[in-house]
Amino acid sequence: MQTRPLISDLPRLALLSLAALVVLAPYIWMVAVSVKPQDEVFKASLSLIPQKWALIENYGKVLKTIPIWTYIVNGLIVCFGILFFQILFAIPAAYALAKLNFRGRELVFGFVMLGLLIPYQTTALPLYLGIHQLGLLNSYTALIAPFTCSVFAIFLFRQFFRAIPDDLINAARIDGMGELSIVWRVIVPNAVPAATAFAIFSVVAHWNDLFWPLIVIQKGNLYTPAMGILAFRSVEAGEDYGALMAAALLVTAPLVLAFLFAQRRFIEGITMTGLKG
Amino acid sequence: MSGIVIGGVQKSFGVTTVLRGVSLEIAQGEFLSLVGPSGCGKTTLLRIIAGLETVGAGHVKISGRDVTALRAADRDVAMVFQNYALYPHLTVRQNIGVPLVMRRLSAAGRMPVLGGLLPGVAAKRREISADVERAAAMLGIGALLERKPAQLSGGQRQRVALGRAIVRHPHAFLMDEPLSNLDAALRVTTRAEIVALHRRVGASTVYVTHDQSEAMTMSDRVAVMMDGQILQVGTPEAIYTNPQDLRVARFIGSPSINTFAAEIGPDGAVMIGAVDSGLGSTGTGPAILAIRPENIAPAESGIAARIDHLEYLGESLLVHARLLEGNALVICRLPPEARQQIRRAETIHLRPDPAKALLFDGAGRRLSAHARMPEPVHG
Amino acid sequence: MADVALSGSPFNEPRLARRMRGDAGIAWLLTLPAILAYLAMILLPLLAVLALAFTDYEFGARGFRWIGLANFADMLSDRTFAASIRNTVIYCLFVAPLSIGIALALAVLIEAGARGRAFYRAVFFLPVVSLTVAMATAWQYLLHPSIGPVNAMLRMVGAGTPNWLGSSDWVIVSLGFIGVWENVGFNLVLFLAGLTAIPRELYAASEIDGARSGLSKFWLVTWPMLGPTMLFVIIITMTRSIRVFDTVQTLTQGGPNNASEVLLRTIYQEGFHYFRFGYSAAITLVFLVIVLGLMLIQTRLIDRRVHYG
Repeated sequence: MQTRPLISDLPRLALLSLAALVVLAPYIWMVAVSVKPQDEVFKASLSLIPQKWALIENYGKVLKTIPIWTYIVNGLIVCFGILFFQILFAIPAAYALAKLNFRGRELVFGFVMLGLLIPYQTTALPLYLGIHQLGLLNSYTALIAPFTCSVFAIFLFRQFFRAIPDDLINAARIDGMGELSIVWRVIVPNAVPAATAFAIFSVVAHWNDLFWPLIVIQKGNLYTPAMGILAFRSVEAGEDYGALMAAALLVTAPLVLAFLFAQRRFIEGITMTGLKG
Repeated sequence: MSGIVIGGVQKSFGVTTVLRGVSLEIAQGEFLSLVGPSGCGKTTLLRIIAGLETVGAGHVKISGRDVTALRAADRDVAMVFQNYALYPHLTVRQNIGVPLVMRRLSAAGRMPVLGGLLPGVAAKRREISADVERAAAMLGIGALLERKPAQLSGGQRQRVALGRAIVRHPHAFLMDEPLSNLDAALRVTTRAEIVALHRRVGASTVYVTHDQSEAMTMSDRVAVMMDGQILQVGTPEAIYTNPQDLRVARFIGSPSINTFAAEIGPDGAVMIGAVDSGLGSTGTGPAILAIRPENIAPAESGIAARIDHLEYLGESLLVHARLLEGNALVICRLPPEARQQIRRAETIHLRPDPAKALLFDGAGRRLSAHARMPEPVHG
Repeated sequence: MADVALSGSPFNEPRLARRMRGDAGIAWLLTLPAILAYLAMILLPLLAVLALAFTDYEFGARGFRWIGLANFADMLSDRTFAASIRNTVIYCLFVAPLSIGIALALAVLIEAGARGRAFYRAVFFLPVVSLTVAMATAWQYLLHPSIGPVNAMLRMVGAGTPNWLGSSDWVIVSLGFIGVWENVGFNLVLFLAGLTAIPRELYAASEIDGARSGLSKFWLVTWPMLGPTMLFVIIITMTRSIRVFDTVQTLTQGGPNNASEVLLRTIYQEGFHYFRFGYSAAITLVFLVIVLGLMLIQTRLIDRRVHYG
């Protein structure tokens, strides 16, 4: 692509910058308000820079009132717990569906396709009943177990494995590997790009999820970041915006920072897996 | 001359210079091939003629009109792309019709449904349809008009691309390696069809290819390009028998021309090592003697070489030999009967035909030379 | 697969049979964990929801009765449900066209030049990776009727200052705007992927064919070539926006006066607040049918119309 002279590129850049400003507005204000004292927030001025900094005050209040690190750690445990089981279950199944001939394969794949059509919110009621029956409400298990079988991961990995040449697998068989060691030594190393894409998709989805944690968690020490913000709002009656923005910023930061460090991978991951937002 | 005139065209992309001052004239109705190795700038030159690239310096005229500043849409040229660039969502009829629709209908008239209600649009659409059918009939794709490109074979797509180009009788016809995506057999028959089509349409044609046999068989004239420059323009015969540059001599012809390090003696005799080539020149010092495989043959005496390998082609025999001195490869093309007389690993003496030998200086420029002594050549 | 070729030879028969049996055994072994998880987490719960929808089961009750279609009949006279359906439809019809149109325009603008591509792409994508609940809170501040910057700006230009999230006239538009903000980046990267997949040659060909303006090139090449992407994006955006929950739950809890009640929140509320599992399951089925309907349209249309091959 040829670079146009800057001057003729200006209208384009101006339009894009305007749109970017609208998109960034909540972030800009979030940062600004998180360091403003309450009286300045209530003055409703448009100035972004506080006259008196309230950084320590606001962030201190967040850390004092709610165990925000616990929430973030909970979020990480849940996201990576889910991801671990999803990949653990999906890769062998996807390999069998892609590369092994067995009776019933079409049926299994048919169920995978069926699963792709079902939003997880559909099954919330019976899952809640089941988890309640087992006495597992308010546990990591309740947060993780319902998502361990990702039909989407199976589907994605299957598509990916089909592109691996049969001869590579036949060569491994001739070299004396059994199916299990083929999965472990040939398939898993080759699945890294698909797994990365899926991992990003999965972590983004579950880090942001509110619906399910809200259903199965009542105990504060198991709150996920999203629930933590809600809890903090109700404790604070939602009017101390300085502290609220500080809390919002703290829980938004981990994923946003990860995104800024690995932009391309994130965007590829999300577009590659865009199928099931 | 009112065909296409290119004067002093220069072009660079960033720091890489792609064209270093190219000038070329293509006569009205002429078929000219631009041939050269990949990366030589031939496609860029074609895109500049088309108006798809701007020039850094120089000018382009089509039919006497300076089009340097005009965009592709205003130049009245048609182009066939390497991958055909057919619109996949349009039928063959619509694909061929696009250039007519874009030129004959206003933006309002082009609108789906509503456009058809404007006065005159329906009549123009009928005209376009008739023109499209005429072009399709000419190319023998009349039966495919309602298909989409995805439903066509490579050869058929290629014809649709040709149809889209000829349908509006452009001043110039530009083709960018149009045969490179066809299989070998189809390529040969399509060559002849394109030549016939050119004769019928009569528009000046610039044909870009890296395949010298296409260039040689189809063109009125061939322009050989290398490193962003045109090395030589001429008829296929002139390019083959009378190259002005060693790079041209080496690029054209298959198997490629043999070269020998030579020395022009004070008496004007061109010596290859200790062997007198029979060629005389006015220059002095080191030179390069080049000779096509069909113009060098074994003789009683000459350059000693050991036969490496024989390639029997039916109509001729290719002898691959290595010079005893320096181990360089020489290929000679002999009549097929010669197979009875020579065998592998034999040592033979090769003698170039001085009347056909070409002499170049160290920089690859052609030197004038003449046969000094009439030497009978084997075969 | 390679073994099948050998099956003509009698010597290979037994080995092949053993091998096939071994293959099937190992295949089931490999799929077993996934199948068990699928049964427990997807298939059985799905069947259970289907069953629940025809009962009057309430969480904690000792038993239940089969009541046929009574739950569905109740929906017809349930004003909350009616509001929920209406709001969800309005929300989707607001979010989908706007987020798609804006995303397409931005994608074309980004593609049109070399400057700032990665930067703008990253900026527009940011909302996709941001915690929705937290960002909703930031929007709540921005849209705050008295202290919010949006109304501060409106006051400066002398325009009216609506109570964005507090008035039943504005609340669904405000939520819709946040929805657009959330979805634009996602659609944008899908469009960018679609745009880069269009062969450059087609633009060159369209220029030769006489397409002078950017607009005529857009209609001749870009728009039809984006067809498959467009359909995909429409369905994705619809299914994403029909599942709106986080922003509503965070900002309005369905209020004021049900003006922002949406389907998933109704399911949540009926099920986990009033514990009317049977009724909640029936609404879940309605939700599922709508989602499946969208998917069906997608596969139908993709097969029929936009497949260029």
